[in-house]
Amino acid sequence: MTNSLLFGIATFVYFFAMVLYVSYLAFRSEMLGKAASLSLLGGVVVETAAIGMRWYESYQMGIGRAPLTNLYESLTFFAWTIALIYLVLERKFKMKTMGAFVAPFPFLIMAYASLNPNDIQPLVPALKSNWLISHVVTCFVGYAAFAVSFVVSILYLFKAGAEQFSVKSAGSFLGFLPPSSGLDEIGYKTIAIGFPLLTIGIVTGAFWANVAWGTYWSWDPKETWSLIVWLIYAAYLHARITRGWRGKRAAILSIVGFAATIFCYLGVNLILSGLHSYGGAS
Amino acid sequence: MSADEPVKSAKTEGPDWIEKIWGFLTSLKLVIILLLILSALSIAGTVIEQNKPLQEYYRYYQPGTVALFMKLGLFDMYHSWWFVACLSLLALNITACTTDRYRGIMAGMQKKTPILDEKISKTLQNLTTIRYALPLDAVEKKMVELAGRGFSGKPVVTAAEDGVSHYFFEKGKYSRLSFFLTHLSILIIFLGALVGSFFGYKGYVNIFEGETVSQVETRAGKIQYLNFQVKCNTFDAEFYPSGAPMDYRSDLSILQNGKEIIRKTIRVNDPLTFEGVTFYQSSYGGQPDQITIDVVNKDGALRGTVTAPFGRKVDIPGVVDKVEAADYQEHFHLPDGSEGGRAIGVNIYPAKGGPAGLWLLVDHPEYDKHRGGDYYFRVNDLKLKKYTGLQVNRDPGEILVWLGSIMLIAGIMLAFFISHKKLWISLRTDKKGRSELTIGGTANKNRDAFAREMEQLIQSLKEVSS
Ligand code: HEM
Repeated sequence: MTNSLLFGIATFVYFFAMVLYVSYLAFRSEMLGKAASLSLLGGVVVETAAIGMRWYESYQMGIGRAPLTNLYESLTFFAWTIALIYLVLERKFKMKTMGAFVAPFPFLIMAYASLNPNDIQPLVPALKSNWLISHVVTCFVGYAAFAVSFVVSILYLFKAGAEQFSVKSAGSFLGFLPPSSGLDEIGYKTIAIGFPLLTIGIVTGAFWANVAWGTYWSWDPKETWSLIVWLIYAAYLHARITRGWRGKRAAILSIVGFAATIFCYLGVNLILSGLHSYGGAS
Repeated sequence: MSADEPVKSAKTEGPDWIEKIWGFLTSLKLVIILLLILSALSIAGTVIEQNKPLQEYYRYYQPGTVALFMKLGLFDMYHSWWFVACLSLLALNITACTTDRYRGIMAGMQKKTPILDEKISKTLQNLTTIRYALPLDAVEKKMVELAGRGFSGKPVVTAAEDGVSHYFFEKGKYSRLSFFLTHLSILIIFLGALVGSFFGYKGYVNIFEGETVSQVETRAGKIQYLNFQVKCNTFDAEFYPSGAPMDYRSDLSILQNGKEIIRKTIRVNDPLTFEGVTFYQSSYGGQPDQITIDVVNKDGALRGTVTAPFGRKVDIPGVVDKVEAADYQEHFHLPDGSEGGRAIGVNIYPAKGGPAGLWLLVDHPEYDKHRGGDYYFRVNDLKLKKYTGLQVNRDPGEILVWLGSIMLIAGIMLAFFISHKKLWISLRTDKKGRSELTIGGTANKNRDAFAREMEQLIQSLKEVSS
C-alpha cells in the first residue's frame, strides 16, 4: 500500500530532523538549524500525504473512513500533530534549541506505531459517526499541545536550576536554551491552547456517546481519565492565573498533567479495559 | 487572568464564623485542592472496577476486603455519598466564587474612565507623546482612522475645559463575562445531570419483528409505560466478510391510537426520538419460531416430516411418540467442548414413560443419527423470529448538559483568546503651537501581544507627521 510506504518515508525524515536538531544544539550553526526545521517540515508534509493517501485508499477498498480509528492511526496522527504544533511555536517564539528535545517525539512515536498492525480495517457500527473526526482531532491536538508543554517544563526545570546555581553554561546546552522565564511562558501558552481543545474533545465525545449508546457520561475508564487530565490542567490554570504559580511549581504540575495524559491515551488501553479499547488485538 | 485589578471580596456582614465559612468557600486554595481530590478519587474509580457483579470482586479480593470496600462504597464510587459530597462542595465553591466576584467583574466591565488623567497615566507602561507640525484636526482624523483599525467602533470623546480632547477606545469588554460563562456552565451541567437522574429513566426493550410494545423495563427494574406504541417492522444485521459487524438497523414505527405517526430506520449512531423518548439500537437476537424436522429410519428411508411450532407438542408421523421443540442455543457446545453452532433442544414424549430430551444441530443436520434408535431426526428448516434490542431513554436534563457544555467552551475561548483592551489618546496644542498627541493603553490579559500591537500603533502614528 502506498500509504505504508509514505508513513515509512515520513518516519525516516523525522529521524533525519531529530539528528539535525541535535546537531544544531551541538554545533550551533545557522545552516544546521535551517536544515533541521526544513526537514521536520518535510516530515510533516510527507506524513500529511500519507494520511491523505490512507484515507483515499480506504475508499478504494470500499471501506471509506477517516484514518483515525486504531492505535496505529492514532499514534501516527499524534506524531503529526506534535511536529506541527512545535513548528508553529518555533516560528512564533524563535526558539530553535527546543527542537532537539521535541523532534525525537515524532520519530519515536512513528517507530512505536510501526510495531502495530497497520492494515485498514472496516469500522464497527459504533465508530461510524461524523463525530469521530471532531472528537479525535480535538483530543489529539490537545494532547500534542500538552506534550510540548511537558518538554518545555522539563527544560524549564533544568534551566532554572542552572540559573539558580549560576552554572557557567557557556559550554553546555543549557546556555543555549531560552531564558527560564521564556520557557515558563511557552509552557503556559501551550496549555492554554491544549485546554480548550481537550474541553471540546470531551464534550464532542460525550455528545457522540449519547448518540451511539444513549449515555453522555458512563464513567468508563477512558472518559474518567480524560476528566482527570482536564481537572489537573484546570487546577494548573487556576493556580497560575489566580494564585500566581509560576516557574517550578507550575512546571511540575504540567509534567504531572502530561503523565496523566499519556495514561489516558495509552495506559487505559493497555492496562484498564473499557469501551474505547482500540488497543486490543482485534 | 485579569490580574491587573485586584478584586475585593464582597463585604460580608455578620458574625465571625460566617465570614470564616465564606472565606473558606471562596478560597482559591479550595478550588485547586478540590480539583486535585476529585482527580485522585476518579483514579481510584478506574483502578477498582465499578459496578461489577459481586462474585467478580471475590475473585480478585479477600472476602474481608470486599466487605470493607462495599461498606465504603468503593464499588459504586461515583454514586457514593462522599463523591457526591465532593461534587456538591465544588458546586458550592463555584457559587460562592461567582457571587464573590460578581460586583468586581461587572465594575471592571462597566467602568469607563474616558479621560487620560494622571492616575491612569501612572499605570501605563506604554505612555507616549508625539508632536506634529500638522493642524490638530488633521491629526485627529488620521488618529481616529489608525486607532480604529484595532478598536472598531467610535471612541468616547470628551472635550475638557483646558482645550484638550480625550478619546477613549475600548474592545472586548464582554470577555470579562468569560468568568461567569465558564463557572456557571459547570453548575448548569450538574443541574442537567440531576434533572436527568430525578425526572428521566433509562430502560430497555426487545421487540420481535412485526410486534408492538407500549412499555419498557427501566434499569431500576420498574415498568415504564409509554404514551404511544413502538413497532419493529424489520431488523437486519450485516456483516463484513471477516465476520465483523457492519451495520445493525431496525425499521421502527411510532403508533398512536393505531395510526402510524413516524417511521424511521434506526442504526447505531442514529436513534429515533419521539416525545422526549429516544430509542437506540443496542442489541439483537433471535428466538426460534418454528422448526421442520425430517423423521428418518435407521436405514436412511424418510418416514415423514414434522413441522413443530416452538413450545408445542406435535405428533410424529408413523410413531406413537410426540415431539416438542423446547430450547434454543445460538452457540451449542458439543460434549467434546467444540462449537456446534445453532442447536434446538427437543423433548420426545413416548406413549409410556417420561419424556426424553435431546439436542438437534441446525448446522449438522445428521447429528442425531449417532443416538442410535429406530429412527432419528434430521433438521430440515428452522424459522427464527428476530428481535431488536433497544435502549430507551428519557432525559429532560440533557438539554441543560449541552447548554452548559456550549457555555463552557465559549467561556474558555473568551477567557484565553480575547482580552479587554483600553486605549486612551488625548490631543492638545502645546505652547509652541504644535499638535501634541498622548497615547497609552492596557489589556487585562495577553499583555505581550498587546504590547506589540501598541508598538505598531504608536509607530504608525509617529509616521503621520512626516
Ligand atoms: C471544574 C471546575 C472549574 C473550571 C473548569 C474552571 C475554569 C476556569 C477557567 C477556564 C478560568 C479562566 C477564565 C478567565 O480567566 O476568565 C478560570 C478562572 C478562575 N476560576 Fe475557575 N474553574 C472551575 C472551578 C472554579 C471554582 C470552584 C472557583 C471558585 C473558587 C473558581 C474560581 C476562579 C477564579 C477566581 C478565576 C480567575 C478569573 C480571573 O481572574 O479572570 N474556579 N476558571
